[in-house]
Amino acid sequence: MLQTIFYGLTIGGILYIISIGLSLTFGAMGIVNFSHGLIYAIGAYTIYAVMAKMGINFILGAVIAVLVSIPFSYIIEKYVIRRLYGESIDYAIIATYAVLLIGVDAIKWIWGASPLPISDPVGISIQFLTMEMPLYRLIIIGLTLLILIGLSLFFKKTIIGKIIIAGLGDREAVRGLGIRLDKYFAIIFILGSALAALGGVLYSPISTLHPYMGFHILILCFAVVIVGGMGNLRGTAIAAFSLGLVMAITGRIWGPAAEAMVYVVMAFVLMIRPIET
Amino acid sequence: MLLGKGRDGVILTVENLEVHYGRAKVLHNIAFKMDEGELVTIVGRNGSGKTTLLKTLGGFLKPSAGSILFRGQRIDGLGPENVALKGIRYVFQDKRVFGELTVKENIELAAYPIKENLEKAVQKVLSVYPRLEKFLHSKAKGLSGGERQILLIGRVLIGQPQLLLIDEPTEGLAAKIISEITAILLSMKGQFSMIVVEQNLATVARLADKIHIMKEGVMFKEITDPEMIRQPSQYENDL
Repeated sequence: MLQTIFYGLTIGGILYIISIGLSLTFGAMGIVNFSHGLIYAIGAYTIYAVMAKMGINFILGAVIAVLVSIPFSYIIEKYVIRRLYGESIDYAIIATYAVLLIGVDAIKWIWGASPLPISDPVGISIQFLTMEMPLYRLIIIGLTLLILIGLSLFFKKTIIGKIIIAGLGDREAVRGLGIRLDKYFAIIFILGSALAALGGVLYSPISTLHPYMGFHILILCFAVVIVGGMGNLRGTAIAAFSLGLVMAITGRIWGPAAEAMVYVVMAFVLMIRPIET
Repeated sequence: MLLGKGRDGVILTVENLEVHYGRAKVLHNIAFKMDEGELVTIVGRNGSGKTTLLKTLGGFLKPSAGSILFRGQRIDGLGPENVALKGIRYVFQDKRVFGELTVKENIELAAYPIKENLEKAVQKVLSVYPRLEKFLHSKAKGLSGGERQILLIGRVLIGQPQLLLIDEPTEGLAAKIISEITAILLSMKGQFSMIVVEQNLATVARLADKIHIMKEGVMFKEITDPEMIRQPSQYENDL
C-alpha cells in the first residue's frame, strides 16, 4: 500500500506541474486552453529527440526541452490567446483545440505515429522498509515540492505574483490602477507552459510518447483544475495530489478503473460545487 | 494658464457621448464640462446610466460616439490602464479590494505603476484613516465594508491623481461610517477634481458643487445653485 501511495504522489506531482498553467489561464484569463496539451507533448518529444538523436543527458535535455517550449508558447499567447481575451469561451475552445490538432499532426509528420519509449534516466531503486522505490520517482516528488514552494514564494513575494493574484480576483480593478494586466498574464502563460513542458519531460520515462499524449493528459488536468477550483493555486496542488492518489489506489484494486475514478471524483465535486458561469 | 491645465480651468469636457451595450443604446448624447477642483455628483435611479457614464470616463467602456477631453486631450478610446496613468483614478462600487492580498499589498499595487515609494504611499493612505495601520498586514478581505471603502479611496490618492471617479461610496454602509466617508471626501474637496455617483441625497447635499441628475441614459437636469443643492427636497422628485 505504501508503494501505491508513493506512486500516487508521483503522478499527483506531475499532474500538479502540468495543471498549474492550465488553472491560471482558466482563472485569470477565462480561457480554456487546449493548446496546453501540445506544449506538454513538445516537452516530451524534445527530450526524446535530444537524448535519442543527439546523445545529450537527461538534465541538459530537460533544460533544452523547457527552453524549446517557450517560443511556441509565446507564439500561441501572442497570436491566439491574446486575441481571445474577453471573448466567448467557445472561441477559445475552438481556437486552442485547432492549435492542438495542428500540433498533433506536426508530431506525427516529424516523429511518426508509433509510441516511443524513454528509459528511466536514473535507473536506480532504493530500498525503503520492505519495498523498492525507483529513485527517479522520488526525484519527481522532490522536484514537485520545490516547484510548489517556489511558486508559492513567487506569488507571495514578487510584484508580478501579487498582480496575478489580484487579477485572478478582479481584472478591472487591477487595470484601473494603471497596470497592463495582459503583459503579466502573458508572462504567467509562458511560465505555466514551461511547467507543462517540464511535466512532459518528467512523465515521458514512466510512460510512452505518442502523438495524442497531449489529449490524454489534458483531460486529467482539466479534472484537476475543476476539482481544485479555477485559478486556485492551493486547490490545484491539493486536487493534483488527491487525484494522483485516487488513480494509484484505484489502479491497485482494479486497473481499468484507475482513470475513470478521477472523473467520478470530478463529477462528485461538480455535484456539490457547480462551476459558476 | 497653469501648466497642464485645460483651457479656462476646465479639466473635463464630455461632448455628445453615446454608449451601447450590444445593440441597446444606454447613454444618449451626454454633454457636460467640469472645472478644476470641482466636486460633481451624479444622481439618478438604478439603471439611469450613472455607473455606465463613470465607467466610460474611466476607460472601462468604449463610447460609440462623442468625445471625452481631459485637460484638452482626447481620452475616449483609451483603455483603463492609460486613463489611470493620466491621473484619472476610479473607485469601484461594491468595495472591491484585492481580498487575497494584505492591506499593505493593496497599497503596493496602487503605488507600483506610478513608481511611488511604498512607505510614502502607505503614509498617504494612513493620513486619510490612521486606524487602517493595525490592519496593514491583514488580508483585505477581513476588513469591514467601511474600512474597505476607505482603503479604496486612500489607494487612489497615491501618486498625483488629478480626477477621481468614485462610484457609490456610501452604498450599504452604516450611518456612522457614511458620515466618516463624507468627512473624508469633504477633506479632499478642492485638492482634487471629483465625480461622485451617489444615491444618498443627504450626502450629495453636503458634498456637491454641482449635481447632474440622470434619467434613462440622458442628463436630465443640472443643478449649480448652492442653495438648491443643500436642499434635497428641491430635487428628489426629479429622480
